[in-house]
Amino acid sequence: MVKKIAVYGTFETTEHVKQRYWKVRKDGIKQRYWKKTTRTKKVVKKGRYEFHGSGKDLYKAVVKAQKIVPKGYIDIPAKDFLKNPRRYGEKGTWIESDIDS
Amino acid sequence: MSQTSTLNCVLGFTDTETVLLDLDDVSFRTARYWARRANRWFKLEGFLILKSSENHYHVVFNRRVSWSENMRIVAWVSLLSHNRGLVKWFIMQCIKQGSTLRVSPKVEKHSPRIVYREGIQDGRIREFLVERKLIKKIVSCISRIDFV
Repeated sequence: MVKKIAVYGTFETTEHVKQRYWKVRKDGIKQRYWKKTTRTKKVVKKGRYEFHGSGKDLYKAVVKAQKIVPKGYIDIPAKDFLKNPRRYGEKGTWIESDIDS
Repeated sequence: MSQTSTLNCVLGFTDTETVLLDLDDVSFRTARYWARRANRWFKLEGFLILKSSENHYHVVFNRRVSWSENMRIVAWVSLLSHNRGLVKWFIMQCIKQGSTLRVSPKVEKHSPRIVYREGIQDGRIREFLVERKLIKKIVSCISRIDFV
């Protein structure tokens, strides 16, 4: 039987700071651009994993998900997540919060 | 609550074929009334009520349904009961195309516990209970692991 588990909540992670700059185009219009800097900042985000698979894979995936927080809404088999967790998540820590299902 | 100290994320049961209801700010009698009414009207065979926290209840029905029928039933209950919490929960489930109910403990809330059973319990309810047991096992294992 394929089981499905949802792991969700609020987490803290780091992301690159974006810097705004202006450039005058050839046609004379001043346009705004954004560039990704090497500086990072801490951000609080919400995200969710939907794992499906066997009990053993689910357990391993949930343990792995404690350190690797999701990049948005991720619905994947637990086996795929275990093969390459960094593809679906990034380093971060879950923080306690009152979140709805 | 020792479990919440390590586990900061929430673990829940997700399914598309099981009719689930999340009733907020209602008494047990009201929760049971809506569960009975939906059970009779849609012939859902039986139901299980779990207490999530004070005046917050979860309902799980026994009969396997399609996703469209599932949402039809939840929409029917939320329209008739005028429960704001249920309406919000229903919209969220429609967006992510799968109903989820919490199983693990949350901030200042214990894991939901069974308070009432009625009718047949050998269909989706049994599968829900199996999965609930697995999630609880995972939670207890994780709370024993020191991640720091």
